Amino acid sequence: MSERDLTRPHETGRRIPPVAISETSTLVNQTGSWKYIMPRYQDGVAPCNAGCPVGIDIEGYMYLIGQGRLQDAADLLIRENPMPAVTGRVCHHPCEDSCNRASLDEAVAIHSVERRLGDMILAAPPPPAPERTRTETVAVIGSGPAGLSCACFLARFGYGVTVFEAAPEAGGMLRLGIPEYRLPRAILDRQIERIEAEGIEIRISTRIGTDVPWAVLDGFDAVFVAPGAHMGKDSRIEGAEGVPEIRPGLEFLKEVNAGGRPELGDHVIVVGGGNTAMDCARSALRLGADVTVLYRRTPREMPAIPQEARETKEEGVKFEFLAAPTAVEMEDGEFVGITCQRMELGPPDDSGRRRPVPIEGDVFSMKADTVLTAIGEDCDLSFLPDEVRTNWGLVEVEALGESTSAPVFAGGDAVDLPRSVADALGAGKRAAIGIDHYLRKEAGEDVGEVPLDDLRFAGGNVSAMRYAKDEDPIPREAPVNDVVTWDQMNPHHYRSVPRHEDHFHAGIDLRSAFGETNFGLSQKEAIEEAERCLNCGVCNRCELCLIFCPDMAISRREDGGFEIDMRYCKGCGLCAAECPRGAIVMTREGM
Amino acid sequence: MKKVMIGNHAVSWGVLRSRVEVISAYPITPQTQIVEALSDMVADGSLPARYIKVESEHSAMAACIGASIVGTRTFTATSSQGLALMHEMLHWAAGGRHPVVMANVNRAMAPGWNIWTDQNDSLSQRDTGWIQLYCETNQEVFDTTIQAFKLAEKVDLPVMLLLDAFFLSHTSEPVDVTEQEDVDRFLPRREAVYKMDTKDPHAFGALVRPDAYTEIRWQQQEAMHEARDVFRRVEDDWEAITGRRYGAVEAYRTEDADLLLVTSGTITSTARHVVDERRAGGDKVGLIKVKMFRPFPTDELRALLGGVDRVAVLDRNISPGHGGIFAEEIRSALYDVPPEDRPILFGYVLGLGGRDVTPTVIDDIIDNTRTKARPEREDLWVGVEL
Repeated sequence: MSERDLTRPHETGRRIPPVAISETSTLVNQTGSWKYIMPRYQDGVAPCNAGCPVGIDIEGYMYLIGQGRLQDAADLLIRENPMPAVTGRVCHHPCEDSCNRASLDEAVAIHSVERRLGDMILAAPPPPAPERTRTETVAVIGSGPAGLSCACFLARFGYGVTVFEAAPEAGGMLRLGIPEYRLPRAILDRQIERIEAEGIEIRISTRIGTDVPWAVLDGFDAVFVAPGAHMGKDSRIEGAEGVPEIRPGLEFLKEVNAGGRPELGDHVIVVGGGNTAMDCARSALRLGADVTVLYRRTPREMPAIPQEARETKEEGVKFEFLAAPTAVEMEDGEFVGITCQRMELGPPDDSGRRRPVPIEGDVFSMKADTVLTAIGEDCDLSFLPDEVRTNWGLVEVEALGESTSAPVFAGGDAVDLPRSVADALGAGKRAAIGIDHYLRKEAGEDVGEVPLDDLRFAGGNVSAMRYAKDEDPIPREAPVNDVVTWDQMNPHHYRSVPRHEDHFHAGIDLRSAFGETNFGLSQKEAIEEAERCLNCGVCNRCELCLIFCPDMAISRREDGGFEIDMRYCKGCGLCAAECPRGAIVMTREGM
Repeated sequence: MKKVMIGNHAVSWGVLRSRVEVISAYPITPQTQIVEALSDMVADGSLPARYIKVESEHSAMAACIGASIVGTRTFTATSSQGLALMHEMLHWAAGGRHPVVMANVNRAMAPGWNIWTDQNDSLSQRDTGWIQLYCETNQEVFDTTIQAFKLAEKVDLPVMLLLDAFFLSHTSEPVDVTEQEDVDRFLPRREAVYKMDTKDPHAFGALVRPDAYTEIRWQQQEAMHEARDVFRRVEDDWEAITGRRYGAVEAYRTEDADLLLVTSGTITSTARHVVDERRAGGDKVGLIKVKMFRPFPTDELRALLGGVDRVAVLDRNISPGHGGIFAEEIRSALYDVPPEDRPILFGYVLGLGGRDVTPTVIDDIIDNTRTKARPEREDLWVGVEL
């Protein structure tokens, strides 16, 4: 038998802690050796950026607002969009249609934030004009959004730019086509002044081909053609010719927008379902008329921006769907109304919308004092030389606006694009890049091809900052050009926050008001709205990865970003799974 | 300050006074009001603590353990099925020597689904290494909550305080809420010896091989043994401030008694009443209340029960295939009493799933214990009607 007492503990000098704690520091256990996949911070593209035809880093300026850097946000915005106070009001904001936040609660009211930043920019004095670094000069035909966008970016690229405008004031369709209650003239004027301050010259009342010949452009090294679409399509109403009560809607809008107040009579019919039709209807309403919109399809097929259509209806405009005007009705030589054909929807046409088909024998009369037709507009391209090829009334262009005849470029409503302010701005920017690239090539610079894919925010747009290799105010982690979808994000760290809706007029008689109907958001509301941005695909320093890493392998870098100590990262993937934004990916790379 | 409050809120007030720093809990009837009140206190700032919401009791205990590792004072509360779901984490808390305090409202285990009181939920966790303290009144609940932190942090073991569903949890009684400065004198901030330090990282709950596992367990058991003395000193300190003490075991009117009832929880109050009536009639009946179940107060019970003729243990619980759990533990403790001093022990099982234990029931038990020569079996079920 042992001399020791069996059941008594013996002091042997072993030092065993009371807790199951490791004797040595865990730093010796380099758990990184276990991994077969590894995390990487990788900033993707937020869907708003991909969905913006202008090519704005929307997510970027939302991030900067979230960091309290309002001025930096405004700077980032105007570097990609020369007229945010305008687009914040009139853009159809496809960015919001693609916003991932809609899968959580409601899309971020991006347009309201843009508008607030845009107004902030207009309230400040313009910065000094960019330095003229290029000897070449460029002519721009048309001072609408496409023309001014192209001119502005060319000026920033260092060129001398002259804009030729047929009308007595600059702005193109922004001024002629968009009513004042949607876009106050003071805003438009200041926005254009700010663009002019970037060092471009606008020659008003100068129509190419009429006031001055095309040959005047020979003195320029390149030309950008953006004349817009100003000719109303023929209404094809039998007997309409020579009847003054049947007017092209765009012509009516131009008159009203120039300050005219034409007599319309009590009953006005607007034919069409697009934005021009909505603008006509609401303008006629403000002139005191009882207005009915006649549209040959149903609300589903209306091309108007849904919000415009909704506001039109809310203001009291009536809608008659599935009906088309066929003939003028006269009594004793006086115009009294129109005969309408009842339609039904047949199979889809080329546009994918169901084609309206007449229901035989189903016709009816509608009384009217004035009929405004708004069934689309054509371009007057008669001033173009033959070498600039057109197709179906539109200028044929390549990706960067190159026409068939260098050095002529084209964009806006005169090319095959959706007819929106945003698409026009984007076309102007692309053409500015195309022109810069062309002129540098002509000057013998070794510029290669334009790396279009690198300039895009994943969509069809381009970034002028990326083209000019401007410094990005936001540090990017290994950026890739892939859109981050909702299913790549982790919704569990977000909570529902209701969207701030724009403030609208309440309690005043709209019929006498051409004043702005939408007041947007207050600064505080706009900031709160920006804080709703989820920063899809982009690290916004939320620190959840740092908190969740079970190996404490993630730490902060001095620049605010994070780094992963691969000696200890065991590749568990928790950081990537928890990242609310999908800004961490698991990869085999480098192993 | 005297306040009328339910037992659940007596726990909440105890936690408030103890300046708990981290709370993590998952709601379950009849415990929910404890953490509801605490979440209000955290929300309105009166309790500057972090309240961690979790998706299960298992996670609640895991969160408490994590918070305890970094040195904070932590609390959770649960009941019945929730406690069962925590089971794995209960071992982690005790084995890791984390002084987490938990209130468990004693509720019967399902099935049959039942929200009323019995002790099978907590007694099922007997061997997880937690100190267990059973309470009789709301005042005792309040006092024990505060004492539990001091006890836990002195011996680095987790403490479970128990209160009966509804009879305490939802019943209002006046409670003398000790003033904050008095509690602060009694219970200073926690000073953790082993805590997480990112500058000198160590693994907690690390691998322990056969050559050291026994030694780790030995030290845990030594801490349990030490807890008996520590609890006595904790009660001394508390008594010095408040004048109140309960004892791991309380002897009530045991002088000259030839029959002792043994109870825990709220049955004790009913038994006190019966003992008073019997004593008034000249019957030498006494009462032993067992507050501390782990560590088991073996010595006290031997001293109190040894030499008494008969003992009736009232168990609101059952170890299926054996008997009432307190009765079995006491029977085991009395084995080492000299045979001539060893009482005849009657183990009654009663009051399961919240069934009332009335004075009449206890009267009948006393009569039965006196009249029968010996118990017919180790588990004597009371009031079974088939």
